[in-house]
Amino acid sequence: MSSSASHAHHGEANQKPLVGSMGVDSRKLGLWAFIGSETLFFATLIVTHLIFYARTKEMLNGAGILKELDPRLNYLGIELTTVLASLLLASSLTMVLALAASKARDWKKFRFWQMATILLGASFVGGQVYEFMHLYHVGLKLAPSYALHISDEVYNTIASLNLDPSIVTLGEDHGHKAAIVPSLFGVTFFVMTGFHGLHVTIGIIWLLAVYVKVNKYPDSPENPMDIELGGLYWHFVDLVWVAIFTIVYLM
Amino acid sequence: MANHDTHVEHHEAHTEHSTRFYWIVGLVLAIVTAIEVAIFLVQDLFLHELFLAILIVLMLAKGVGVVLYFMHLKGDFKIFQFLFIVPFLLAVSLVLLMLTLFSYHVGIAG
Repeated sequence: MSSSASHAHHGEANQKPLVGSMGVDSRKLGLWAFIGSETLFFATLIVTHLIFYARTKEMLNGAGILKELDPRLNYLGIELTTVLASLLLASSLTMVLALAASKARDWKKFRFWQMATILLGASFVGGQVYEFMHLYHVGLKLAPSYALHISDEVYNTIASLNLDPSIVTLGEDHGHKAAIVPSLFGVTFFVMTGFHGLHVTIGIIWLLAVYVKVNKYPDSPENPMDIELGGLYWHFVDLVWVAIFTIVYLM
Repeated sequence: MANHDTHVEHHEAHTEHSTRFYWIVGLVLAIVTAIEVAIFLVQDLFLHELFLAILIVLMLAKGVGVVLYFMHLKGDFKIFQFLFIVPFLLAVSLVLLMLTLFSYHVGIAG
């Protein structure tokens, strides 16, 4: 079916899946292609972060102050992130339950599980905003250096080493003594997790739009595919966090 | 169009699971996440390389679970599998290559 023919029959196609010349639903085909491109997009963000973290570690290790100033060990706890990962994983389950309910035309259950997915996603974003604010207040910023708050003992130890300013300088951050390390760890971390958070936010808006649409037009034959497409995107967003959680926070 | 309808029905037949099945998959994913965190907490008991290998295997297991059963890629059209698996393999190659290439490079910002 040509593109123009597809457009011409759009109204009629409401009764059937929008099947293109590949024999599959065109919207789903487009979404899988998008997900494929997004996989590469997030892979570049993750690997960029890993490279700059490795560079920072090597620099600090060479100066003998890795343990004291390692940005991941000192900034990124796993308590909150484990909760966030669980929320997103749970939201994937509720999403697939919403889809199953819609296929069974059980709209009451659909509404319940879809709203649960939206709320779990919103909780994730809220948790991420909290994490970002916390990190900002302890010196990790969207800037080409991070200011790690350190004790007097560590401060004096680093001062006695008389290190090159390209490795570390001593100063203050938010009223605390801090070691200021030139590194793109913070930039790459916030860009990577920030883009993921943006994707979750877009997913919430998407799922909310589907929820409202299905509520308004419960008999629309397009509903199952609309829900499936929103769900596919949502599961992909969860999939990205599965990778970020393990690679960035645990490894 | 009749042929297409047949395709669509064929697709539907492959992607239907009971809600109980989804709960089981969700439970397994939660357990794997708990194991990941537990291993992280006792990582000093392992060689670092073994620790990393275990985490990678567990991460891949979770990813496969989400893709095959929640995203219903298992049994779905080959074109969808192609559109995801090829970029995924490219992404894995990209990560491994870049990490290798930069492992001895002294670049900007450290």
